Amino acid sequence: MLVMKKELDALKKEREAGPRQEHTERAAVAETHEVAPPQGQAAADTHKQVATEVTPPVVEAEGSLLGTTKFLLAGWAEGTYEQRNGQVSTFSASLNPLFLWELTPKILFDGRLEIEPSGGGTNVNLVNAQISYLFNDYVAFGVGEFFSPSNVFVERFEPQWINKLPDRPIGVYHDVLPNISVGAQVRGGFPIGPTRVDYAFYVSNGPTLNTFDARTAGTLDFNSYTDNNDDKAIGGRVGFLPIPGVEVGYGFETSKPGFQGTTFADLRALVQSVDLEITRNSDLLKGRVNLFAQYAWAKVDHAVYDPDGSLGFGPLPLTAKRDGGYAQIAYRPTKLDNDFLRNLELVFRWDHLSADPSGFGDPSETRWTIGLDYWLSPSTAIKAAYEWDKPNGERNRNTLFFQTAIGF
Amino acid sequence: MIKTVKFSLPIAFLLLFTSTSVNLFADPKANQKTATESITAVSSDSYMGLTGEELWSNNCLRCHNIRPGTMYGNAQWDVIVHHMRLRANITGQEQRAIVEFLKSSK
Repeated sequence: MLVMKKELDALKKEREAGPRQEHTERAAVAETHEVAPPQGQAAADTHKQVATEVTPPVVEAEGSLLGTTKFLLAGWAEGTYEQRNGQVSTFSASLNPLFLWELTPKILFDGRLEIEPSGGGTNVNLVNAQISYLFNDYVAFGVGEFFSPSNVFVERFEPQWINKLPDRPIGVYHDVLPNISVGAQVRGGFPIGPTRVDYAFYVSNGPTLNTFDARTAGTLDFNSYTDNNDDKAIGGRVGFLPIPGVEVGYGFETSKPGFQGTTFADLRALVQSVDLEITRNSDLLKGRVNLFAQYAWAKVDHAVYDPDGSLGFGPLPLTAKRDGGYAQIAYRPTKLDNDFLRNLELVFRWDHLSADPSGFGDPSETRWTIGLDYWLSPSTAIKAAYEWDKPNGERNRNTLFFQTAIGF
Repeated sequence: MIKTVKFSLPIAFLLLFTSTSVNLFADPKANQKTATESITAVSSDSYMGLTGEELWSNNCLRCHNIRPGTMYGNAQWDVIVHHMRLRANITGQEQRAIVEFLKSSK
């Protein structure tokens, strides 16, 4: 009984001492974070200071628990209805998650997937996987799989919440310019007086020359991401911004696209592109006008395809040339008072792709597209468009589109 | 018909460009005031005489609609503008000014 009483007294003493001890510990923690307290401060003030400074260590502790790296899941998604003359109408959809991971303020990883239903399954493609390092204010390095800087459309306007029309211009996608490159790049921008220059140069695996098929002979396959020889493609783009909202650019890529050890190994391919981007707010037009234009040329040195006729279409001597591009103008009445009208955007595009250089493939194609967008938010649009498309010598492929796209 | 449109398209572009660029060589700062008049917050940082707000408007609008500062948290803006710096080739100073503006505009 006496033992039990002693234990009870000990517990009571411990309980009384507890809060005092806790207060002392908290005060000590606060004092360790206190920066140079003023000399001669009254006790009351000290107590007040301790009380107010207890919180920061807790916040700091939470911050350290969260870590110093920053991860963000961004990207975009779209759903499209397409009714093309001569084909069955169809719905399609895609999800394009973009993984951004800032390891330090200088190091960023960005990776993007393209996920879309196809047949009875789902296609998943790796579109982007790049580690970047900011060397200084004007220079950044990147290594991995990235959008090709020589093709400004894919770098800047390819996400469907940015692209103002439901489909993409043919001229900058089909064998004329690279879309995705695997390699390393250096890029940045710097001012020259009141103007600015931006640049991006890269080395990559480069394209593959198509030589086995009559239709595609002499064209460049930019979708082959593994290299077929020891030569590396070199490319880049330089842009000039004379005033805010106006940019002109020149992009290029030079490579040896032939398979190593074949007669095509020494052929050189050169692709070039010029582009213009204008974004202006106009009081006169009570809104904003965007003009985007890009034109590209691809050329492969002279060669004889299927020289012994074993593939059934040769010998075919050819200096393969192909060109294509687009011009797009959009108007959004951002300065009108009516909310509904202010969210509308009218878009008009011309795009063109020349015929396959062999003469056995696709004919040249010129399309005219008109579209109307309604912006539900800055990155959510409902689009409707009609496209006049009549490749030379073929029946028309006019198309009606509806699309919803969201950027997140 | 197609030929007529082919010839008229460049002329239309030229007219539109002229109409939207009547003050092409005026002070860029003054030009951009109208583009961002709905935004009230002002960044204290600046670059080439332009505030973070003006840099945000100039650079982001070149490609897409601008998204307000309230749309993302501070840490998220750090990552987004870092990514956009690489994509749009803006300088480090512009990046910092834009981030500061976006954080202060909430």
